[in-house]
Amino acid sequence: MTSDCDELGRRLTDLRDGALGESDCAAIEKHLAECPSCGDLHRDFEDLARLCRESDRPRMPLAVRRRIEEALK
Amino acid sequence: MAGASEEPRALLYRALDEHGDRLYAFALRMTRDPDLAADAVQEAFTSALRKFDTFRGESNVATWLHRIVYSKAVDLIRQRGKETPLPEDEEAILGPEDDRLARTPAWARPPDEILQNRQTKEALEAAMKQLTPLQRAVFSLREVDGMSTEEVASVLGMEPGTVRVHLHRGRLRLRALLSEHFRGVPS
Repeated sequence: MTSDCDELGRRLTDLRDGALGESDCAAIEKHLAECPSCGDLHRDFEDLARLCRESDRPRMPLAVRRRIEEALK
Repeated sequence: MAGASEEPRALLYRALDEHGDRLYAFALRMTRDPDLAADAVQEAFTSALRKFDTFRGESNVATWLHRIVYSKAVDLIRQRGKETPLPEDEEAILGPEDDRLARTPAWARPPDEILQNRQTKEALEAAMKQLTPLQRAVFSLREVDGMSTEEVASVLGMEPGTVRVHLHRGRLRLRALLSEHFRGVPS
């Protein structure tokens, strides 16, 4: 990894969020294609996002819902 | 989207139906304690009813309620006094420590069946518990709930750029924390 990697690594979330201009996107995409370490970081972020989308979400227990309904009466 | 002209109780009952599970899940991730999560959500609804005149429909009711749940959860965390740093203490600029985390060895490429199995989901939940409250809030709202960065910024009362800093840091920490789980997984 180089200092370029540090700088680009800090901007990966901006890239994924669509917060960068076209020329910045192109420069980072080019670096990701050429640098195995940064490419791995990008792919790990993608896997992490998939893992989160598919994770279980706890449901509100009925007793808690009843308490809130009482409070709203 | 529910409007501010709707009768307050009716609007909040409907919000409980439509967003109750999401709000509870968010509170549980924040507090890491079912009793505190229940308190945070109940207090949020009673506070919303009491202060309904402050809701003018500029944001949607789900965003507004998430904002109140977040505030209640942070208050409860602060009262419990075990968790540091609190949101106001966190550095809002990426720095060398973040760069160091980015150099964590990459995950072995997890096949789909490993990525989706129960052990991995449990490892993710355990890793999320190790994030700071602010990282947990940002990551949970953005990646698990699927809110936009602008919505997360509205919930947490910060600029979208600041949300992205904490989101990036949370991603780096989770990647590092989960690397042990994926070690040895055949690529």
